[in-house]
Amino acid sequence: MNTTNINYKNLYYPPGGILMWIIIFLELITFGIALVAMAVYSKESPDVFHNSRLLLNTTFGTINTIFLITSGFFMALSVHFLKQNNLKKSSLYLKLTMLGGVLFLVLKSIEYSHKIDAGLTIGYNTFFTFYWMLTLFHVIHVIVGLVILLVVQRGLNSNSTTKVEDIEASAAFWHMCDLIWLLLFPIIYLIF
Amino acid sequence: MKHSITVTWIALLVLTIAVSIISTIANEWAIVLILAFSFLKFTGIAFYFMELKKAHIFWKLALLLFLGFFYILIWSTL
Repeated sequence: MNTTNINYKNLYYPPGGILMWIIIFLELITFGIALVAMAVYSKESPDVFHNSRLLLNTTFGTINTIFLITSGFFMALSVHFLKQNNLKKSSLYLKLTMLGGVLFLVLKSIEYSHKIDAGLTIGYNTFFTFYWMLTLFHVIHVIVGLVILLVVQRGLNSNSTTKVEDIEASAAFWHMCDLIWLLLFPIIYLIF
Repeated sequence: MKHSITVTWIALLVLTIAVSIISTIANEWAIVLILAFSFLKFTGIAFYFMELKKAHIFWKLALLLFLGFFYILIWSTL
């Protein structure tokens, strides 16, 4: 494992790398615009949005938030131990990070299944069009994040040429999934 | 470092549960509190889990500007 000291105070070297942060900002702006559009549409038919929001399971949303936050916590610990060259603990926390992501996907699948059974599909109304589009787009990010973490996990051994920067970039992508969910959850599940 | 990550995680869990409880209250201030707590959660992850607090001020300001602009837009739309 290659460990190098990076000066994060340098404008061009934020933790995770400048390219990853450009991606993070693009993603946040994209989801942000979609959520603002959702809020604008809610003004046209506030009753539809309020009644549709009540059809969502807030408990599932809260538990999923806890899964992602805890997963992000394990990811941060994994990077912390990696910088201390403690590969065993770093690997353990990386596996726990992935477990959090898998639990999120399992609960999201159950939630989707309930919605489909109730006929609340993408064409049901404007609220559910936004709900499906935004949450599914986020789920795709979580799946991609899990694949990245799986690859990182395989490369996490003492003989690997994987650099700390590579793992920090993967961690930044995973945390980005948390950030996107933290934008989606209060607006879709709570405020309409 | 490990201590600050753990404290952040506990704070994030408390804020998540608080937001869910507040959402059951039918009050115009509930929305403001939900958005304010979500802002805190977002910055907690960005600054402590993603270590943005160690980054150049440009990145910190850019994130805070985005977040402030986003929540003001949402709040003014609702």
